[in-house]
Amino acid sequence: MGAPRNVQRFASFCYNCVSGPDFLKVKVEDGVATEIEPNFEAEHVHPARGRPCVKAYGLVQKTYNPNRIRTPMKRTNPKKGIDEDPRFEPISWDEALDIIATRLNAIRAKGPIDEAGLPRIAASFGHGGTPANYMGSFPAFLAAWGPVDYSFGSGQGVKCTHSEHLYGEFWHRAFTVSADTPNCKYVISCGANVEVTGGPTAVIRHSEARIRGYKRVHVEPHLTITGACSAEWVPIRPKTDPAFLFAIIHVLVREHGLAKLDVPFLRDRTSSPYLVAPDGLYLRDPDSGKPLVWDSAAARAVAFDTPGAVPSVDGCHRVQRAITVGADAARTEYADVEGVTAYQKLVDHMARYSPEWAQTICDVPADTMRRIAGEYLEAASIGATIEIDGQTLPLRPVAVTLGKSVNNGWGAYECCWARTVLAALVGALENPGGTLGTTVRINRPQENRHASVKPGEDGFMVQHFNPTGQNSWESEPTTRNIHRTLVPIVGRNGGWSQALGPTQLAWLFTEELPEDWSFKTPTYPELWFVYRSNPAISFWQTRQLAGAIAKFPFMVAFVYTIDETNYMADLILPEATDLESTQLIRMGQTKYMEHFWDHIGVVLRQKAVEPQGDARDFSWISGQLAARTNLLPQYVAQLNRGIAGVSPLKGEAYDFSLSPDRVPEPDEIWDAVCKAATTTLSEGKECHGLDWFKEHGYWAKPASRLEWYLTPTLERQGLRYELPYQERLQRVGAELGNRLHERNMHWWDDQLTEYVALPDWHDVPGRWERALVNAGGKPEDFPFWLLTTKSMQYHSGGNAGIALMDEVSENLHGHTGVMLNADTAARLGIREGDRVEVRSHIGATYGKAALMKGVRPDTVVILGQFDHWATPYIKDQERASLNTVAPMSIELTDATGSGADIVRVSVRKMAQSAGVRKSA
Amino acid sequence: MKSERPILDRVPPRQQGDWDIRGALNFMLGGAGAGLLAAVACATPLGLDLPIMELLGLALVGAGLFCVWLKIGRPWRALHVFRRPSTSWMSREAWLAPVVFACGAAAILTQAALFFYVAGLLGLVYAYAQGRILKANIGIPAWRRWSCVVLIVATALAEGFGLLSIGAVLWPALTPFGYALAVAIALRYAAWRAYRADLRETGAPSGTLQVFDAFAFNFGLIGHGAALVLAVAGAYASQPLVAAAGGFLASLAGALFKYTLVCRAAFTQGFSLPRTPARGKGKSGVGAQPGWQAGRGS
Amino acid sequence: MSKRYAMAIDLRRCVGCQTCTAACKSANATPPGVQWRRVLDLETGEFPDVRRTFMPVACMHCANPPCMHVCPTTATKQREDGLVTIDYDICIGCANCVMACPYDARSIERKPRYSYGTPMKSEEARFDEGKLGVATKCTFCKERIDEAERTGKVPGVDPEVTPACVNSCISGAMHFGDVNDETSHISQLLSDTEHFRMHEELGTDPSVFYIWDGGEA
Repeated sequence: MGAPRNVQRFASFCYNCVSGPDFLKVKVEDGVATEIEPNFEAEHVHPARGRPCVKAYGLVQKTYNPNRIRTPMKRTNPKKGIDEDPRFEPISWDEALDIIATRLNAIRAKGPIDEAGLPRIAASFGHGGTPANYMGSFPAFLAAWGPVDYSFGSGQGVKCTHSEHLYGEFWHRAFTVSADTPNCKYVISCGANVEVTGGPTAVIRHSEARIRGYKRVHVEPHLTITGACSAEWVPIRPKTDPAFLFAIIHVLVREHGLAKLDVPFLRDRTSSPYLVAPDGLYLRDPDSGKPLVWDSAAARAVAFDTPGAVPSVDGCHRVQRAITVGADAARTEYADVEGVTAYQKLVDHMARYSPEWAQTICDVPADTMRRIAGEYLEAASIGATIEIDGQTLPLRPVAVTLGKSVNNGWGAYECCWARTVLAALVGALENPGGTLGTTVRINRPQENRHASVKPGEDGFMVQHFNPTGQNSWESEPTTRNIHRTLVPIVGRNGGWSQALGPTQLAWLFTEELPEDWSFKTPTYPELWFVYRSNPAISFWQTRQLAGAIAKFPFMVAFVYTIDETNYMADLILPEATDLESTQLIRMGQTKYMEHFWDHIGVVLRQKAVEPQGDARDFSWISGQLAARTNLLPQYVAQLNRGIAGVSPLKGEAYDFSLSPDRVPEPDEIWDAVCKAATTTLSEGKECHGLDWFKEHGYWAKPASRLEWYLTPTLERQGLRYELPYQERLQRVGAELGNRLHERNMHWWDDQLTEYVALPDWHDVPGRWERALVNAGGKPEDFPFWLLTTKSMQYHSGGNAGIALMDEVSENLHGHTGVMLNADTAARLGIREGDRVEVRSHIGATYGKAALMKGVRPDTVVILGQFDHWATPYIKDQERASLNTVAPMSIELTDATGSGADIVRVSVRKMAQSAGVRKSA
Repeated sequence: MKSERPILDRVPPRQQGDWDIRGALNFMLGGAGAGLLAAVACATPLGLDLPIMELLGLALVGAGLFCVWLKIGRPWRALHVFRRPSTSWMSREAWLAPVVFACGAAAILTQAALFFYVAGLLGLVYAYAQGRILKANIGIPAWRRWSCVVLIVATALAEGFGLLSIGAVLWPALTPFGYALAVAIALRYAAWRAYRADLRETGAPSGTLQVFDAFAFNFGLIGHGAALVLAVAGAYASQPLVAAAGGFLASLAGALFKYTLVCRAAFTQGFSLPRTPARGKGKSGVGAQPGWQAGRGS
Repeated sequence: MSKRYAMAIDLRRCVGCQTCTAACKSANATPPGVQWRRVLDLETGEFPDVRRTFMPVACMHCANPPCMHVCPTTATKQREDGLVTIDYDICIGCANCVMACPYDARSIERKPRYSYGTPMKSEEARFDEGKLGVATKCTFCKERIDEAERTGKVPGVDPEVTPACVNSCISGAMHFGDVNDETSHISQLLSDTEHFRMHEELGTDPSVFYIWDGGEA
C-alpha cells in the first residue's frame, strides 16, 4: 500500500432518513472515496455537532457496491412477476431517454388526465420526502409536466406517524411532533423510538437531557433502544395506548382537577370555554354565528372574542338564545338551553376511563398510570416562566411523544388527541419545554410554520380541508388514493397532501373494488416513475403487492441496484448517488423530528467522486427529459420559480435566472440556486456561488429559539387551539358520510365513526382479531401479536444491501432475527438462533429466533424491513419481515387512510435449512 | 461474502477459535512427549536400554512444535518466537525445546544416564512451560488457574508413564511401571478433581463447566478407573499387554483431555457489566455477566 | 509524569447506534467481520423489570497488558503514553495474545476478505497485505496521537488527533485524553462521576473507564 498521492476532503450532507440533514466530509484519496468523517467545521451550526449517524459511514460502500446498476437498461422479458427474470439489457442514455420521451409525448398528445379523471403519469418517491434531497431538478420537470399522481406509496401513511402528520398539523401546525428536548424534564414516550429514528440531533439532545436528569417513561410492548435509554419501561399490551393516555387524562381532570391545571392557557388559548349544546355542537351567537362562552365577569353568554370577557373554563351555564350549525349548514335554534363548556364535556367524558379501567385493557397497573400522571403534572411546573431572547414565556417542561404504530391506524386518532390534550391541560402545547411541532407539509409555506398561522373560523387557525359540502365535494376522485374525496383533513397542498392520502387504497383498488363502489373505475397510470422507493417489500402483503406492481403498464425506475420493485420495471436508469452528484438544500428552521435549530441556512451535497459507470446526475437526466418532451421553457421556468432550490432565482433586487434557450447543466443550476439562496437568506448582504459552497459546504445565520414555539404566534393573533372538543371534525365527518351515502356507498362507514368530538375507547386490538375472524381464521391459531420496529442502521436509505450496515447492525441483539420473549420461547421449545416460522392467516416469514427478556410474552417483534428476494447481497440472507404477513384491507384502515404494523401470528420452530422464499 | 455467524453477538463467553486442532496437538503431542522423557528418566536407573522411547519422546515434542508452525499466520517469521523470553512462556518453550532436543539426543547417542536424567527433568520443565503458556492466557478462564498448570504436568506424567507402559509390549521389563502409571493416574485424577473444584469455586464460563461435566464421566471411568485397574493388574500379574492397555487408556484420555481443554472448553472471558447505567432520573441497577457461572467463593 | 491516554465511555449516553463501530471500520479499513471496536447490547433483569445497556468495547490499552507479556516476538509493545501497539512486521500470528486478552479485542485474518466477494475500489485503495496473518486490534488511532506529538494539538480536544470512534460518537458518550493530566477533560470527568473498568479483578489495569452515574445530574 503506497502513500496516496492526493488526499482531498469534500463537505457534504446525509439526508437518507427524515432526520437530516447531517453534515459530513468525504475523504477522497487519488479520486477514490475512502472514508466518511464528521464535518467539525459545522460543529457550532449543526445541533448534532457536525456528526452524521452510522448510515453515512455506509456511503463509501454504497458508491462502489459492485451490485450497482451502472448503465441504462431496458427490459427484454415482456412478462413481469416475481418469478420472471426481467432480462435487462444495457442501452445508451440516448436510447433510454428517447424511449421515455416517446411515451411521454404520446401521453401528452392524449392529455395528461385519462378517461377515469386520473393523471396518466404517476410517481412514487420513498421515505418521507427524503428523495427530494437527491433528485436534483427533477421536481421542476414534474412541475413542468403537470398533473402527476403520487398515490402509490411505499409505506407512507402506514410506516410513518400518519395521524400525527394530519391531526398534528390540524391542531398545532405539527406535521411532526417533538418534545422540546433541550428544555424538557419529563417525557411520556408511547413507542416513539427517537434514539433510532431521530438522527444524531435527537440522540445528542436526549443524551444531554439524561445527564441533566430528565425522566423519560417509555411505554411500548418491547424494550426498544429508546426504551433502554429511558428511566422507566412500561410494557404495555399492543395497540392499547389510547386507554393508557385516557387514564392519564382522567387522573389530571378528575382526580387533580382544574385548579391544578394551566387555567389561563385553557381559557385563552384553547376552545375549552366554548359552550356545547345538547346536540353536541357549539352554541353560537344567533347573529354573528360565533361560538359562545360564559363570561364569568358579566355572568352571561357572549361571543368567544368579546373584549374584556373572562370565559369560564368549566361548568354548565344557561344560555337564553343561541343556534348550532351542523353538517351541511343545518341550523338549529335554541332558547334557554344548557350549555356545557367544552372542558366540562371532557371531564364528564373521561369519567369512565379511570386507571382501574385502563389496567384491564393495557395490562399496566393502575398505580403506575396514576403515578405517571402525577409526575407529569408536577414536572409541568405550571406557573414557571423562562426568558428567551428578551421575552418571558411559560416554561412547561413535559411532553408526550408517539411512535409509529401508536400513531397510525385505528387508535391513532385517539392517541394524537389525548397527547395534544395532555399538552394543553398543562399549558405545554407549543410552549418552552413542552410539545412542539417542527414543520408543516399540508400547510404553506413549508419552511415557516408561523407564516401558516392565519385567522380562520371560530377563533381558530385557518384550515384547508378538502371540502365536504354538497356542491364543493370532489365527487369523482382525481387521484388513485382518492385523498381529496375521502380524507378532508389531508387537504389539497399538492404532492404532500396526496402522498399522505390513503395510499393502501390505491394499491387495494388495483386488485378489487368495494361492492358498492360508485366512482369511476380507477385505471393504471400509463407511465410510473419510481425513485428511492421499494413498495414491493416496504408495504404490506408484499408478495401480492409485487404482483400488483407487475401489472403496471410501464415503469421507469431510477435505480441504484436491482430491487424488488424495479424488478418489474421496463426501463432502469442509474443515477449518480449521494457522493456523486450536487444539490443545495435548506437547513434548520423547520424540519422533521427534532430539527428545530439555532441556525437557518443552506447546505451543499457536492460531487466528491466521479459517478460510477454511466450513472448520471439527476439534474442532467431531468434537463434531458424536459428537452426531449418539448418542455424546456416550462422546466426552466419552474427552476426560475425556485422549485428545485431554496428561493426564486430572480427577485426584486437580484436576477440569477436561467435561460430557457438551452438545457442548463447541473452546475449552472446549482450555481444560480446558491447565489439566489444566499442573497435572499442574507437579505442581500451576501451572495455566494457554487464554487464558494464547494469550499465551505454550507451557509448559515443564527435564528431565534422563539421560532420553536407557536403559542406566542397564536397569542399575537388572538387565536385558540381547537382543543379539546372536535366540533369541526364531527361536522366534517357527518358531511362526508352524507356525500358517500348520497352516492349509495357504505364501504367507508366504519371509518366515519372516527369523526367524533371526544373520542371513545373502541377495543383497538380487537379490530385485528375481528379482521382475522372475518378472513376465516381462528384467533387461537395465531396467539401472538407481531410488531415491527426500526433500526438506525437500516432505517431508510436502502441500507439492507450495504454490507457494512448489515455487519454492524448484527451487534444489536435481535436485529436480524425474530425477537421472542425468552420464557415464551422456552415454552415453545425454541432456542436462541433456531430457525422459526412466523405465520399469519395470509402467509409466513422465516428467520432466526432471538430470545429476549425485554419483550412481552404475548408479543413477537421483527425489525423492518427485510425479506428481500431481489436486492443483491441481502436477498441471500434469510430475514423475516412483518410486511410479508401483514394484510392490507379497508377494514384495517382508519379514517385518515392509514393502518398499523401489527398482525396476529403463530410461531414455531423449523428445520434449519432455508426454503425457497420468492413466493412464500 | 460473510460467513455464517450466530445471531447472538459475542457477548457471552464462546469457544476460542484461533487455536484449532493444530494448536491443541502441541499440548497433546508435546505434553505426552515431555512426560515420556520424564518417565524414561525414571526407568533409567533400572538399566534398561530405552533410546527408542527417548527418541519417541523427542519426536512427539517436535511434532507438536511442527503443528504449531503449521498454524501460525506468518510461518516464515517463526524464529521471531525467541524474542521475548523475559515474560513470554511461549518464547521460553521455544528456547527450552532445543535444549530438550540436545539433551535427549545426547542421551540417545551417548547412552549416558545423566543425559536421560537431565532430559527427563527438562521434559517436566517443558510440560510445566506448556502449563504456564496456558495460565498466562488470562483471556481463557479455564486456563488461567494454577490448578490447570498442575493438571497439565500431571497429565504429562500420566501420558509419559502410559506410553512407557505401552513400551512394555516390546520390553516386558517395563511392565512393573504399571505401578508408576497407576500412581500417575491417581495424581492426575486428584489434579483433575482439584482443577474442577477450583473452577467451580472461582467461577467460570458456563460453557466451560458444561463441557467438563459432559467429559468427566468417561474421563474418570475409563481414563482413570479402567486405566488404573489395568495398570495395577498388568504390573501385579506381570502381563505387559494388560499394563500396555492401561497405558494406552491413560495416554488417550490425556490427549482427549487436552483436546477438550483447548478446542472445546476454552471459552473466552466474555464481558461483564458490573452496574447498569442511570438513565436520566432512572437509577443504576445491578449488572450481569452473561454466560458466566459465578463461583461459590464469590 | 508521562502521559497515559485513556478513554471514558458514558454508558448513560450510549445508544448502541454502532456509529463508532462503522467509523472505526471506515478509518482503519478493517475487513468484513473484523471489528476493532463494537458496541455490545446487554440485557439484564427479568420481565418486566428489564434493562438494556449498550457498551462499546475494544482494546483496553491495559497498563498491565497480558497480551504483551505473552507475545513471544515483541511485536506487541507498550508505549510510554500507554498505547499498546502491534508491530505487523514482527508478529508471527501465533494467536497467543488473542488468548491472553480478556476483552476479545484481537483477531487474526489469514486471507483477504471483501464485503462483496470481489474488492471494491475503496477496498483496493486501502488493502494492506501487512495486516494479513498477524494480530490486529484497536490502536487508539495511534497515527493521530503521533500527529499530536508533532503538532502540539491535544488528543480528545482537537479532532485531527482524536481517535475516529470518539470523533464519530453522536451521543457524546466517548471521551479521550490523558488521565495523568489532572486538568484534562477526561480526568475531570472521571473525578466527577461513578465509573468502573471491565474485568479489573484480572489485574490488567485497563485504560477504558465506563461511567454509570454521577457528575452533572
